[in-house]
Amino acid sequence: MHQTIHESIDVIAVFPRGSSHALPKRIKWQGKDYSITELGMHYPQRQGRVLHHIFSVTAGTLFFRLNFNTETLQWVVEEISDGLAD
Amino acid sequence: MDLPINRNTPTVMHIDLNSCFATCEQQANPLLRNRPVAVAAYTTPNGCIVSPSYEAKAKGVKVGMTVRDGRLLCPDLYVMSPDPMKYRFVNLKLRDIFQTYSPDVVPKSIDEAVIDFANTPAMKRGLSTIGTEIKARLRSEIGVWMRCNVGIGTNRFLAKTAAGLHKPDGLDVITHENLKDVYASMKLTDICGIATRYEARLNACGIYTPLQFFHTSSEDLQKRVFKSIVGHYWYQRLRGYEIDSVDFDRKSYGQMYSLPKYTDKPDELGPILMKLCEKTGRRMRRAGSGAHGIHLALVYSDYTHWHRGKTLSTTLYATQDIYRKAQLIMSSQPEKKKVAKMSISCFDLIEQPGEQLRLFEDDDTKNWAASDAMDKINDRYGEFVITPALMMGMSELVVDRISFGGVKELEELYTN
Repeated sequence: MHQTIHESIDVIAVFPRGSSHALPKRIKWQGKDYSITELGMHYPQRQGRVLHHIFSVTAGTLFFRLNFNTETLQWVVEEISDGLAD
Repeated sequence: MDLPINRNTPTVMHIDLNSCFATCEQQANPLLRNRPVAVAAYTTPNGCIVSPSYEAKAKGVKVGMTVRDGRLLCPDLYVMSPDPMKYRFVNLKLRDIFQTYSPDVVPKSIDEAVIDFANTPAMKRGLSTIGTEIKARLRSEIGVWMRCNVGIGTNRFLAKTAAGLHKPDGLDVITHENLKDVYASMKLTDICGIATRYEARLNACGIYTPLQFFHTSSEDLQKRVFKSIVGHYWYQRLRGYEIDSVDFDRKSYGQMYSLPKYTDKPDELGPILMKLCEKTGRRMRRAGSGAHGIHLALVYSDYTHWHRGKTLSTTLYATQDIYRKAQLIMSSQPEKKKVAKMSISCFDLIEQPGEQLRLFEDDDTKNWAASDAMDKINDRYGEFVITPALMMGMSELVVDRISFGGVKELEELYTN
C-alpha cells in the first residue's frame, strides 16, 4: 500500500562531521514516534531557487519519503508505504 | 579486401544499469528489495510498464506490458509511477564516478554510458579491475542495492554486447580471442541493432547465425544483404572496429503525451497542446535556440495516425507563437477522431534568435520578452508557477518524464 501525502512532521536528525548529508534518526508522525532504521537514498532537488533534500527512509515496516526545505527548514512527509502491493 | 579481427587491446567500456528505474526504487525503499516491482508510466490498468525489477522479470513481466497484464502474471506486483529526479540524480552520480577514470564519457540513455579509456592512465590498471572498482563504487556511493553490467571491447558494439552476456551484475570482456565463441553462443536477434526485420533480411540471404553473419564478406553484406553502405558498417562493427563513435547535433526539441482519456474535443485538446508547447518552448529557450519549423503528430484511438510539419519564414520562440502555429496545423486534420497520443516538435533550429536586431519593435518582440520574463519567474520559483491561462488546472497532466533513447539533455548535463 502506497500513499502520497503532504504533512509537516517533527524530525530529529544528526549532521555527522565529514559527511555530505544529514541523517534523520527519529520522526514523529500523527502523534507516534518512529525510529529510522535505514536510509535508502538521499538526493537534492531544486524547486525554482529553493533547494530541497529528499530522504527515502524506513522505520521498521514503514517507508517514508521525507522532504527537507532548506529555505523554511521544515520537514514534510510526502509518501508512506508498507512495501506491499495495493 | 578481407579485414582481420581487431586485435588491439580493448579500450571501450559499456556500463548498463538494467532495470534502472526499478532498481533505483528498490534502493530508495528497502522494503521493496527482493520483491517484484514495476515502474509504469501510469499506475492505472492501461499504464505501460517501463521498468520491471529482476524479481518481476522472473515472473514474466516485461517492458511495454500494461499494468493489467503485469498484475495477471504477478498478482503481488508493486507498481509505482516514475520519479525522474531520482533517476537523474543516480545518472549524475554515475557520471561523477565515470569521469574520475576518463574524460571521454558518453551517455547513451538514462541507464547506459560508454567510457573510452584510450590514452588514459586507467589503462595501466586494466579495464577489468576498473570495471570491478566501478561496481564497488556504485554500491558504496549510491547504495548497496545498485547493480550494473560492465562490458569491455575494442568498439562500442562489442562493449555493449559484452555488457549483455551475464545479466545482472556481469563483467565481460570481448577480445579477438573469444569473439567467435561469443557469436557462437548468440542468436541473430541477440545482436544489438538486429531485430526481427533485419533478421528476416539476413535469413533471406542464407544467414541464420551471428557466426554466419560474421563470416559473410563485406561485398555480400553491402550488395546482397543490406544493399547499402550499412552492410560494410556491419562488417567492420562485427570485427571490432569503431564506427559508432559519431556525435549528432541536436536537430529539434519536442514533447509527447499519451492521453489518459481519448478525446476529440478542441477545448480538451487545446490545454494539452499548450502545455506541450510551453515545455518545448521552455527547453528550446533555455538552450538559447529558436526554430523555423514545427511538426505535429497525432495517434488516434483507432491506431491510425496523422502528422504534418511546416517550415516558416518567421522564428518560433515564444510559447504563444509555437501554440498558434501548432493549433493551425491541428485544425487542418482531414478527419476529427479521438486522439490517443499527441506530439509536437520544433525543428530547423537557430541559435540566439533573441539577439537578432530588428528594425521595428513589433508584437513578436513583446511576446519574446514576455516569454523570457516568464521563464525567469519559473526558474526562480519552480516549474509552472506562472503559465499561459490555457494551462490552468493542468499541473497533473503532461508531467515530467524521462524519454527512452533521447539523451540530448543528459549530454548537456555531462558537459555543463
